[in-house]
Amino acid sequence: MSVSPRALLLVGSAKKPRSTSESLGSYLMARMAENGYETESVSVHRSHRTPQSLEFLLDAVDGCDLLVLAFPLYIDSLPALLIRTLEVIAAHRTRADNHRRQRLVAIVNNGFPEAAQNEIALRICRRFATEAGFHWSGGLALGGGEAINGRPLTEAGKMARNIVSALDLTAAALAAGEPIPDRAIRLMARPIIWSRIYTWLGTRGWRRRAAKHGVESRLHDRPYQS
Amino acid sequence: MKALILDGSRDEEVFSRGVRQALVRRLTAVGFEVEAVALRAMEIRHCVGCFGCWVQTPGECMIDDCARGITRAYIASDVVVFFTPVTFGGYSSELKKVLDRIICLVSPFFDRINGEVHHKPRYRRYPRLMGVGVQPRPDRESEEIFTSLVARNAINMHVPAHAAAVIDSHQPGEIVEETLRSLIDDLRVGT
Repeated sequence: MSVSPRALLLVGSAKKPRSTSESLGSYLMARMAENGYETESVSVHRSHRTPQSLEFLLDAVDGCDLLVLAFPLYIDSLPALLIRTLEVIAAHRTRADNHRRQRLVAIVNNGFPEAAQNEIALRICRRFATEAGFHWSGGLALGGGEAINGRPLTEAGKMARNIVSALDLTAAALAAGEPIPDRAIRLMARPIIWSRIYTWLGTRGWRRRAAKHGVESRLHDRPYQS
Repeated sequence: MKALILDGSRDEEVFSRGVRQALVRRLTAVGFEVEAVALRAMEIRHCVGCFGCWVQTPGECMIDDCARGITRAYIASDVVVFFTPVTFGGYSSELKKVLDRIICLVSPFFDRINGEVHHKPRYRRYPRLMGVGVQPRPDRESEEIFTSLVARNAINMHVPAHAAAVIDSHQPGEIVEETLRSLIDDLRVGT
């Protein structure tokens, strides 16, 4: 009897109800399922609520063939709770016997237009793979993730066409036992919209959100000015 | 002059403690009033990415815990030190949990720096930044990631000068002292 390979998505965003990280990761998981993988998704924020939920996460990591990290860029790196999770996984794996070949990929998105700003976060993920005994199968970097705003990629229209193509190529390669292809990396890194339009829309968005809370005139406040 | 050491050590490991003490001595010797904060002992919740610190309570995180006091101390300092065990090349989760919460020190609005988009400064001045990573054995890849990360943070946090080094526990005391002296020199304090 053959057993389906398992893919585990670890979402590193705290945003509710949905995040862009979850949108990207869920789309890839759906494509992996089409390729015969049994898939599972875990949020790092939910995993740290109780010792039992953390045990559940470690069991899921031990049992997967492919671990996918999907997260937003926080200050040039991974969000703290995702780093904490990786620390726990790495410590667990130095204690546990696990000789299976398990692969790791990462998908990082940031709020600036340039995908290149994610580079160090991907290097950290790769380093984690080395230290925790995973086989690094590559990373995808997306700029301007706010434009997706947690929508399912299937509902994001033309804006997401390069992202969808990148993830389709990634899923096909991973299912064939190969690393993420260069073409997928290049497609994911293409700007979603022109940089100046992105920042103009972003600026307008911050003003509108502040106005909703009655603080538009205080956006430049310096509460800690001495 | 004020120096704030954000200590992201996960435990009171002997070598890290020795490096931190040497750092305090060095900074004090060149005229700094030093505050060292052991972050692992503090109740600091994780950033939830709500952006409330930009659009609801501008300049201040909506979560009322120890991170607010650290943020206030950060912007009032002349030098801030990110002191951490090198963790997959980057910062420990103990250090990062507070760094994720200081995004309120910059503006939500955008600026272009070296051809890239970043957030505009909120304050007129920001502290200089020193990164000190500690690791159990030499590791070139981790060192490169660490120093690159500090350099990227320096751009995003609008620091006027930055310096970073990784110290490993095989290094003799005089090398550690020399590294710390060199880091302080690189910050060009007083210029």
